[in-house]
Amino acid sequence: MSAGSIGSVPARPGRGAATQPASPARRRLLAGRHDTADELPRHLLGVSRTTSAVLTAVCVLFALFTLAPLAWIVINSTKTQANIFQTFGFWFARPFELWHNISLLDQNVVGNGTYLQWLANTALYAGVGSVGATLFATLAGYGFSRYRFRGKGALFAIVMSALLVPVSAITLPLYLVYAKAHLINSIWGMILPSIVSPVGVFLMRTFIDAALPRELIDAARVDGSGEVRIFLRIGVPLIVPGLVTVLLLSVVAIWNNYFLPLFIFSQNQLYPVTVGLSQLSSHGTTSGSLAVEPLLVLGGLVTILPLALLFVVLQRYWRGGALLGGIAG
Amino acid sequence: MEAKGGGDGQRGAPVSSATLGAGVGSVSARDGGPGPQRLGQPRPRRRRRTLERRERAGAAFVLPFLVVFLLTMVAPVIYAVYDSLYRTTLFGGTSFAGVSNYGQTFSSGDFWGGVERVAVFAAVQVPVTLALAFFFAAIFDLRVVKAGGLFRLLFFVPYAVPAVVAAIMWSFLLVPQYGSYTKVAEALGASNADFFSTNLILPTIIVIVIWEVVGYNMVIFFTALKSVPNQVVEAAVLDGASIWAVIFRVKLPMIRSAVVMLTFLNLIGAMQLFTEPSIISTFEPQAISFGFTPALFIYNTSIGNGQYNLGAAAAVVFAVVIAIASIGSLLVARRRSALA
Repeated sequence: MSAGSIGSVPARPGRGAATQPASPARRRLLAGRHDTADELPRHLLGVSRTTSAVLTAVCVLFALFTLAPLAWIVINSTKTQANIFQTFGFWFARPFELWHNISLLDQNVVGNGTYLQWLANTALYAGVGSVGATLFATLAGYGFSRYRFRGKGALFAIVMSALLVPVSAITLPLYLVYAKAHLINSIWGMILPSIVSPVGVFLMRTFIDAALPRELIDAARVDGSGEVRIFLRIGVPLIVPGLVTVLLLSVVAIWNNYFLPLFIFSQNQLYPVTVGLSQLSSHGTTSGSLAVEPLLVLGGLVTILPLALLFVVLQRYWRGGALLGGIAG
Repeated sequence: MEAKGGGDGQRGAPVSSATLGAGVGSVSARDGGPGPQRLGQPRPRRRRRTLERRERAGAAFVLPFLVVFLLTMVAPVIYAVYDSLYRTTLFGGTSFAGVSNYGQTFSSGDFWGGVERVAVFAAVQVPVTLALAFFFAAIFDLRVVKAGGLFRLLFFVPYAVPAVVAAIMWSFLLVPQYGSYTKVAEALGASNADFFSTNLILPTIIVIVIWEVVGYNMVIFFTALKSVPNQVVEAAVLDGASIWAVIFRVKLPMIRSAVVMLTFLNLIGAMQLFTEPSIISTFEPQAISFGFTPALFIYNTSIGNGQYNLGAAAAVVFAVVIAIASIGSLLVARRRSALA
């Protein structure tokens, strides 16, 4: 608010009055409303109309490339099995089967479970897993950022080196351990690894380094507050944006996870959406009476919606790029 | 380390004694123990005790994460190495096999074919992705295109699409004979267009993955570009720099660390290619071979064929290959930025 009112102060007396004969660029700079610090007027860069038009055209083309599959999935979620393959993909066809297709979400079409069950599983894994991941990453990030203890540097290095270990190489080993620990076909087998987020620890540590002044903690200690109390009362309120970012990243990671559940679940009532859809897809045919493909298309669409909604609702907090960019910049 | 901690503890004290004066006494009294006598005791011991307690508190904050980390990341790796040295047969039970699983992995043409394929995949997908992402981030950052905010949002949308769903959509669009894009290609004159054929399958997957990740990379580039101080750009503009000079000579060098980080993250992601070929194989089984990528090789060997020991050996070899590749690329990046 204050920044805005400063920026909109209209009169700028004296500015530029004393300058030497101005170059065209300088004259344009001085003439233009150049109030906000992070905006440079377009005309300054001397971009010709043609260049601007070409660049806009490139953006439009890429937007089409990006949106076409999404338009396709929306349109085809309203079609019958036969029409998905036989009618023009980018327009609707009769009969309009959306409502019937929605009813399929609750049906066991090919005998490997219902979509709604998978969706509920995914929601459970993503809900519990992301809250756990955020909690553990925040605690660990706070510990690494604001404390000194023996072996801290080495421990942090080990955690970060886990970023080098590919998930696809660690999943089979995890499966082998699960086979001994009876965690195959167990929801804990899915949730436990989801709680471990080395990226989350890294982000939280960096965020706390920047957002939580050491002096504040010291002052609270002088006032006699305990360590846990300091964390809850002073630390947490200041790091909410970082916390929400890690939460969002974790939800997306678990929601999209396909490899791990593919290994550890053989019972279809435990499948998350990703595995359920891929199993459904392997039953697909271009013809036949089973409505596999409409369910696959609509199921795919419904899988996207909660994540899209989450981004819209938490847009304000979506600082993932900001965090990473801050580190990078 | 402890010495530093001591210095740290002191930093708060002088401030409070200077400003609060008499307050200090009451603070130490609240800390527990009789205040006045404290002053007579050797201070270092008390401070050491506080520091030890604080050190323990710090470790306690990190502990929960470390426990799960050990259980789900460290222990499995150790167990995988152990398991890869054994062989289980249906009737013979489990017996020590030495390095024979590794021998089998190393001599497997299928495994190395997969490694080579993901290397080619990464060599094309990562640079194209980063170039597109940087290009869009740069022109949105300098506001050369109208409605940049809208485009930015649109390009980011695929990030909300799980890879499985993305692969399903694209498979429907590209499946031979029926796919909408296949029909378009045929209408444009490519008879019997087959995006899943031996020659086109890899380029097809490259396009799909680019579709998935450009937006996310763009957002990170965009944020990094925004952090470049505006005065730098203004100065360049006043010196008569063109827009391209501003983008490539001024801005790009200043976000080098973002470029390095994204290169690194994308490379590791690309090497692990699995979801897209796995989904495509449900549409067109013959398009994807047993060891199309190392991740597929590991999955098909273990879960598919039940050769868990061999799969474990392949997983270990694959992890080492990726570690070498990523450490190597980090070293190259570091040397290059040292030169610059």
